[in-house]
Amino acid sequence: MNRRTFIKVPLALPFAAAAADADAADDGPPPVAVQIDFTSHLPAPGTFPARWICGSPSCMDNQDPPVQVHWYNEHTVFMRQNKAYSYEAPFMHLYFGNERILMLDQGFTTLRTDWPLRDVVDDCIAKWCARHGRRPEDMELLMAFSHLHSDHYAALAQFTDRPNTRYMGLTHEEMVGFWGMTGYPEERVTLDLGGRNILIWGSPGHVISEFAYYDTYTQILFTGDMFYQGRCYITYWDKWFDSMKRLMDFVDTHPVTHVVGCHVEISRTGEDYPYGVTYQPDEAPMQLTVADLRHAFEVAKTITKPGIYFTGAVFLCNQTRGTTTIDKNPYAYV
Amino acid sequence: MPQSPPNLATTQFLDSTGQGTGNNGAPDQPYNPPGAKHTDSCLPLHATGEVVHNYATAEPAPGTIAFRWIHGSNVAALNRDPRIQAVQYNEDTCILRQNVCVNWQAPFTYLLLGNKGALLIDTGATAEPAYYPLRETVDRVIARWAKMRRRQQVPLTIAMTSGENRAQNQGLAQFAGRPDTVIATRPRAGMTGQIDLGDRIIDVIPTPGAHKDGITFYDRYNDILHTGDLLYPGKINIGNDRDYVASLERLKQWRDTHSVKWVLGGHIEMEYSPGKAYPRFATYKPYERLLQMTPDLIDDALASARQVAGKQTMLIRPDFILMNGVSPDERTRVFPAGVPNIASPRPY
Repeated sequence: MNRRTFIKVPLALPFAAAAADADAADDGPPPVAVQIDFTSHLPAPGTFPARWICGSPSCMDNQDPPVQVHWYNEHTVFMRQNKAYSYEAPFMHLYFGNERILMLDQGFTTLRTDWPLRDVVDDCIAKWCARHGRRPEDMELLMAFSHLHSDHYAALAQFTDRPNTRYMGLTHEEMVGFWGMTGYPEERVTLDLGGRNILIWGSPGHVISEFAYYDTYTQILFTGDMFYQGRCYITYWDKWFDSMKRLMDFVDTHPVTHVVGCHVEISRTGEDYPYGVTYQPDEAPMQLTVADLRHAFEVAKTITKPGIYFTGAVFLCNQTRGTTTIDKNPYAYV
Repeated sequence: MPQSPPNLATTQFLDSTGQGTGNNGAPDQPYNPPGAKHTDSCLPLHATGEVVHNYATAEPAPGTIAFRWIHGSNVAALNRDPRIQAVQYNEDTCILRQNVCVNWQAPFTYLLLGNKGALLIDTGATAEPAYYPLRETVDRVIARWAKMRRRQQVPLTIAMTSGENRAQNQGLAQFAGRPDTVIATRPRAGMTGQIDLGDRIIDVIPTPGAHKDGITFYDRYNDILHTGDLLYPGKINIGNDRDYVASLERLKQWRDTHSVKWVLGGHIEMEYSPGKAYPRFATYKPYERLLQMTPDLIDDALASARQVAGKQTMLIRPDFILMNGVSPDERTRVFPAGVPNIASPRPY
């Protein structure tokens, strides 16, 4: 097979062939998709792991999986990148609907040979489809991310040849256009995954282009890097404060079970893990509460100057340079 | 009639009886190019007893860092480099580097060998032998050297450029219970001294500033200053600026009165592009600056240290960065004039 014949092969062929083999082996009818009800008995219950993988004292001796996969419930997956694969250790989400799947964030390592996110996601989708009578190639995968920082989209490249997959562009205009927004950041749009609605609106402040996502099924609010268990690097204070007001309005009118962000950079005792560290043995949980969010807003109201402010749950790094921490030289002496 | 090979063992080498020319190696042999200096080898072909090396040299002993340092990998978990890279600078000097993916500080430790013993300068940043087998590596280097030199016993002295430095004192625990081993006591302020390895003298210069108990070692054989955290190509966190300036003045004076070939510090954090440093905790440093600093950089360091003294600031220089009274994460937009500002790629 030379290059020309390879190009002629339809992109979906490997999948179709695999499916045909599977059908032939089963010798039965194609699976019947049972419609899942995502609108009753809300919020859908779910659990977070007692402990996320959080690096190791020696990176090259890390024995944890490259991606930790946690099924929050039957239709929701949270994943975390191993700290020995990337110090940012971002979290990634998979929301399954009757017709399509939404993936939020794609981690901080580009190459599939370095970090097989694509294989892990394909495996999750295959398992979910097998359990719910669907074929993976029938489910559209939407690849979106919270904002335009490479620790949230680097592994997007692993999915570019995936059939039936659409992904956000890497500009503000493409991102806004992907969700069909005309009134960023105030406009709130609804994404229908097939019976499961995701509400999306603008949440700038950390960067200009950032989105907040709210899943109506689990009622989890995803605030990206704008508000998370760690150092919220606030580049544009006014925009961030407006985004917080929007979040306040939202939690006043919608039930929210958890507020989740992209990273954890803080210990259970409130210790700040410095930027870039690859071992966080006593990590705080990833999920925050609405009370944490409200309290941070109250603290934010009192902030008038640049600096680092601790709310008890998060550090608000108001216009300090990115990667700034509260670390000091431990060997200083008088 | 074929020419018989020269009998190197009897004419050119010192043996245990102390007989010989006083030079190591065979510089006068016709196979050497004109002007060749001694070859630094004191190995007789057929040694009968302990080989005694002559460490008295007019110029710095020959030696080179002939390899690129291991520098981690993009994905630290997949790194399969050796945990310790051992580079032989010359027959009597070994430079060990910790793998960046075991500890991001990737400290350098130095093993110096003399006729009556060995000196290990610094002990690395990781205590667990499974991750960082320092003692095993040191033992093997010494055993190999002892076999070459026909030595039964090589007493080991361990000294540190700073006892409080967690990037250099962690491996010390591995040597607990090692026979024939001495851990050098912490010198008091103002104390100078010498460590005699057997015809190879290591001078001890107190140089607080980065650390309160900072020490610099001067190796009279290689003419190298081992400065630890005081001066190295990286972000130097100054613990006390008065002490730091005073220590650099002491080093400058030392350089002016002694031959200094290189200054070797404890880490590399600078990139090959001048004035650029890898961030803290980086586990992949593909474009590192060289380890060795030329002695004229002491002038630059001293002038820069005087500039930052008394101020809470950081100062970027082409070969190092001084951080005085600021967070290790401090950043600045001030870049030295006349230095090309090159941003190297950051793979992820």
